[in-house]
Amino acid sequence: MKIKIISNILFVLAFLISLTGCGKDNYDEPGSTLIGKITYNGESLHLRGTGEAIRLQLYQDGYAKRDPISVYVGQDGDFSAVLFPGEYKLVTRDGNGPWVNTRDTVVVNLKGTATVELEVTPFFTVSGENLTVSSTAMNASFTINQIVPTAKIQRAMLILSKTQFADDVNNLFRKDFSDISVGTVSLSADISGNADVANAEALYARVGVQAVGADQAIYSEVVRLR
Amino acid sequence: MKIKYIIAAMATCMLSMTACDGFLDQEPDKIMTDDQIFGDAVMIKSVLANYYGRVTWGQHVADWGALTVLDEAAYCNGGPDHRSTFEDDRWRVYDYTLIRNINQFLSGLRATTVLKDSEKAPLEGEARFLRAWCYFNMCRGMGGMPIVGDEVFDYQAGMDITAIQYPRSTEVELYDYIIKECQEVYAMLPAEKQTNSARVNKWGAKMLEARSALYAGSIANYNNKMASPIKTDGGEVGIPASKAESYYKIALAAAEDVIKNSPYLLQDKRPDDKGLNFYEAVCVKDNNTEVIWARDYKYPGQTHGFTTQNAPKSHAEDIDNSYLGVVLNLVEDYELINTSTPGQKSLIQTTENGTYKFYNSADEPFKDRDPRLWGTVIYPGASFKSVEVVLQAGQLIRENGSWDIKTGDLNSKDEQGNLITSQNGPKESNEQYINKTGFYVRKYLDETPSSGTRGRGSEMWMPRFRMSEAYMIATEAAFELNNDKAIDYINAVRERAGVQPLTTLVFDNIVHENRVEFAFEDHRYWDMKRWRLADKIWNGNNNDEQARHRRLWPYKVVAPGDPNDGKWVFVEDFLFMSPNARYFKMQNYYNFLDLGWINNNPKLVKNPYQ
Repeated sequence: MKIKIISNILFVLAFLISLTGCGKDNYDEPGSTLIGKITYNGESLHLRGTGEAIRLQLYQDGYAKRDPISVYVGQDGDFSAVLFPGEYKLVTRDGNGPWVNTRDTVVVNLKGTATVELEVTPFFTVSGENLTVSSTAMNASFTINQIVPTAKIQRAMLILSKTQFADDVNNLFRKDFSDISVGTVSLSADISGNADVANAEALYARVGVQAVGADQAIYSEVVRLR
Repeated sequence: MKIKYIIAAMATCMLSMTACDGFLDQEPDKIMTDDQIFGDAVMIKSVLANYYGRVTWGQHVADWGALTVLDEAAYCNGGPDHRSTFEDDRWRVYDYTLIRNINQFLSGLRATTVLKDSEKAPLEGEARFLRAWCYFNMCRGMGGMPIVGDEVFDYQAGMDITAIQYPRSTEVELYDYIIKECQEVYAMLPAEKQTNSARVNKWGAKMLEARSALYAGSIANYNNKMASPIKTDGGEVGIPASKAESYYKIALAAAEDVIKNSPYLLQDKRPDDKGLNFYEAVCVKDNNTEVIWARDYKYPGQTHGFTTQNAPKSHAEDIDNSYLGVVLNLVEDYELINTSTPGQKSLIQTTENGTYKFYNSADEPFKDRDPRLWGTVIYPGASFKSVEVVLQAGQLIRENGSWDIKTGDLNSKDEQGNLITSQNGPKESNEQYINKTGFYVRKYLDETPSSGTRGRGSEMWMPRFRMSEAYMIATEAAFELNNDKAIDYINAVRERAGVQPLTTLVFDNIVHENRVEFAFEDHRYWDMKRWRLADKIWNGNNNDEQARHRRLWPYKVVAPGDPNDGKWVFVEDFLFMSPNARYFKMQNYYNFLDLGWINNNPKLVKNPYQ
């Protein structure tokens, strides 16, 4: 009888303990949001947004470990991260992106929501693009603006994609042109016989310009053609 | 009652005083003293065998999947493989555990009194060679890394660890260290050939010296020719252009030493069958004169499944087969013997005058090519173990005055009993055990009976250094030094292979020769990196014939009454199994350092693009 009472008490105690716990060792989820875009002269840059190709790094001082938090940049130059409140340092990644590799630090004080503009100096920009596609050819005319006087063009790319993600890797069709000079450019690529393009229900187009020595190209806006 | 307690208490006391009789006192058989090790030749061998078992990195024969990463072969074991980019830690080596173990071995070896100095030297040479090989594998992936010398680090609680946190060396310092170590152990190691080239001798050390110097020289040369050379401020990555000449000179001298003084020869025993000769030079251990150092395998215990996994279906000895399909990209690089442009690829014609080009036999487009093609690849109509490997995707039939392609299931026949699709394929399918490119691999495929079973596995070795590399290192180093001997060295390799000698030599000939000679031998990736060509060849463009895998499928013409009946046609296409082109980004020239290592040792600086 006595034993039964003791075991009952123990059982109830164990049950009660199982209801407590998990008090101190859990954090609340991070609640602050960092929103930003990569700009030149205040205008967003158009980039490759797939494959984690362009990323920024957030560092926070005062901790033993120094692993950066990666922030991935979308194809319209925008990025966002959900973080704990605090002071962060935002930098571009070494050698990454179609801009001059300066790696200046932007300090972000995050509490609630913060918006940052990360100003960079691209080697080139693309403007005034006019992209069309016929059954046999893709035609593009656009202007390449030289921003960094010493930069040289490695190649220009005409790109077609069946999704709105269009870049040097995500595409149905890509044609590279070398020997391109700054200014207004008209390019044409033969797509006759390309069944993928002919059969695509949706078709998006984009042009890109890659500077010599840059790991990424700068792009035009994505246009829907079909 | 009380007495009983007293007796019990006394008995307990007395028992507690006995014990320790000695039957538990045994010498530990898991922990050995240094003298126990070094007093016994078998023990020394087993310690070294442990180290030899831990130094296989990069593309190797026991890891067939690694052979699909580049532009040599494609994954055929199932549905499409979406690989495109290269991982930041692709073939990265960071093995300070091994280096510490080797240093423990060295300090024990040097201290022991049971061996004579003359007996110690070759053992020390072997251990230090393996340590240099480990550093070399780290360096070609990441650039300069900490050099710890002979030190064995021990951690005691509370000690100041910043003293044992070493910063990275420069890339120059690490290559110089490897070269110096190789030169020192060269004098310690034996000169004779070793059984199955499994243990290293002084010629292996010379080859590592030559290869390291060549890699360092080409980074000094080609990195600085890039629009924006890849380097760090501290020199952990990047070698000054002024160092190129001295490195090329070291490489040339070391390679010439191996060519002139070593007991190895370019194996050339079958003048009538150069293809088989090349296969035997690379893949057959008996009476081999070619291979200087290899990862050897031996049954029982040390075997691998390469033959099991990659044998043609018609020749399979177990349920596995056809994992790897060689891609057309590689096949076309083997030039036609009578080509007017020796030293370059020869494309395969599939159309002529607006229709198919008709070939008289399945092997006609291939059999008059560089015999190394036969030795490396099983192409349609070639034989393995003296039995033909039939590769037939389907029939080309004549219907209503036009040609039509007809395909069926594996091993299907039409009403007249003619084969439609071979049991080997190639076939478009997401299933495993079907070839999808039109070519099988021959290099490393073992002809030994039952080597293709899961139970036994294959003893096929993987050569790490062989004689033709000495010739190719000499070629490249001499070429970069504007030395006229370069063309003689490359022609020695080409003559052994059975192709025309070159009359003039340009850089692209060297790129081409390395590709066809050393396919699947863990050269291509590192070559493309050190020449800074990788980002140009593997440019990520899905419409690029070099960057994306391609296939070539054979069809047999079945059109009774037509003059082309019984002939063969070929259809070329991008390989559906590899929908994405290979894309080598600038950041792939050097592996990223793991952030965990940097947290443990804040003195490590990151690599570019990281």
